[in-house]
Amino acid sequence: MNKILFFAHLRDAVGEEFLCLDASGKTVAQLKAELSEKYDLPRMDTVMTAINEEFASNDEVIQDGDEIAFIPPVSGG
Amino acid sequence: MNERYSRQVLFPGIGKEGQEKISKKHVLIIGAGALGSGSAEILTRAGVGRLTIVDRDYVEASNLQRQQLYTEEDVAEKLPKAAAAEKRLKAINSDVEINAIIGDATPELLEELAAGVDLMLDATDNFETRMAMNDVSQKYNIPWIYGACVGSYGMSFSIIPGKTPCLNCLLRTIPLQGMTCDTGGIISPAVQMVIAHQTAEALKMLVEDWDAVRQTFVSFDLWRNQYTSLKMSKAKFAGCLSCGEDRTYPYLDSENMTKTTVLCGRDTVQIRPSKSGKISLEQLAGQLSTLGYTVKGNPYLVSVEMGEERMVIFQDGRALIHGTKDLTHAKTVYQRILG
Repeated sequence: MNKILFFAHLRDAVGEEFLCLDASGKTVAQLKAELSEKYDLPRMDTVMTAINEEFASNDEVIQDGDEIAFIPPVSGG
Repeated sequence: MNERYSRQVLFPGIGKEGQEKISKKHVLIIGAGALGSGSAEILTRAGVGRLTIVDRDYVEASNLQRQQLYTEEDVAEKLPKAAAAEKRLKAINSDVEINAIIGDATPELLEELAAGVDLMLDATDNFETRMAMNDVSQKYNIPWIYGACVGSYGMSFSIIPGKTPCLNCLLRTIPLQGMTCDTGGIISPAVQMVIAHQTAEALKMLVEDWDAVRQTFVSFDLWRNQYTSLKMSKAKFAGCLSCGEDRTYPYLDSENMTKTTVLCGRDTVQIRPSKSGKISLEQLAGQLSTLGYTVKGNPYLVSVEMGEERMVIFQDGRALIHGTKDLTHAKTVYQRILG
């Protein structure tokens, strides 16, 4: 199983701080695409991903037990 | 060393030697909104040698809730932010050489200003300018500190050429339709938290304590009680066009910039973003009407009334700003809504 954490407006869109689901074997890009469709998440292609508090690229493969966080970059200043 | 900096000199991380270094450094702050006002005030009080601050906008009533350098008088006079900031910063510390520039931070201007700058602070409200800063940083070997916030959420990351990944490594592309303070709102504590992170890193760099510089990417949400710091060592991208071996500095090329054109005889400016892509008109219309704007739309465009102006946004990100012929003002209005 994997814990998936959402930040900022993604958390509002999902309606939960985190989800638990099995994403092992999937790439970050695949997981993004699935979640994007299921929860109608905006602009997932530019959302930064962390696996176990470390930056992960879109082609990284998720392992069982990994904690995933989606961190959208914002532009306000 | 005078009494003025005694408490900062007492702090072991700075000391007399550090204060001496701070007083000889030149910092360039891009943007004089919420982040820019706060960072500029802290660095001016800290006694930086020279501070250049760039902004294209003027002070409005909706700025006063969080942009700490400005007053009701500045709003009444519609003072440009850079000019109002200069006035206040000079009153705070007359030792600091304040250089205020009223203008759009285009790649040309950034390259022109880069000479002799020790550090750049990000206080802009859009990714296009940040990517240009990122390229200038790599080209002229100047560290810069990314900072941004919206709502109760904020983030910061220090970028040191040759050492850390750069912003282009992290994003790989300019996010279209990023959340901005004009669409997602903003509370002052989120601004201050970003400023605290940016200026703490700035002080470390100004005293040249490079080992102390934070290497993680910080993001937090003060309302939802979240705080994370991400290790970024794996983020460096060998093929990066800004910091990789075959670098081209793509964001210094005017081809990749937002295009603004006055439409003949129509009191309208057309804005074309550098990267076209599909934006969600439905979501945008929803956000804008929640904020109280008068919004009309159909599947092809969203039209929003904004005071004197009306902006029409098409699905590919192109927009028409009716009611102005001022290119810089039109770009400001556009980037407020679309980042």
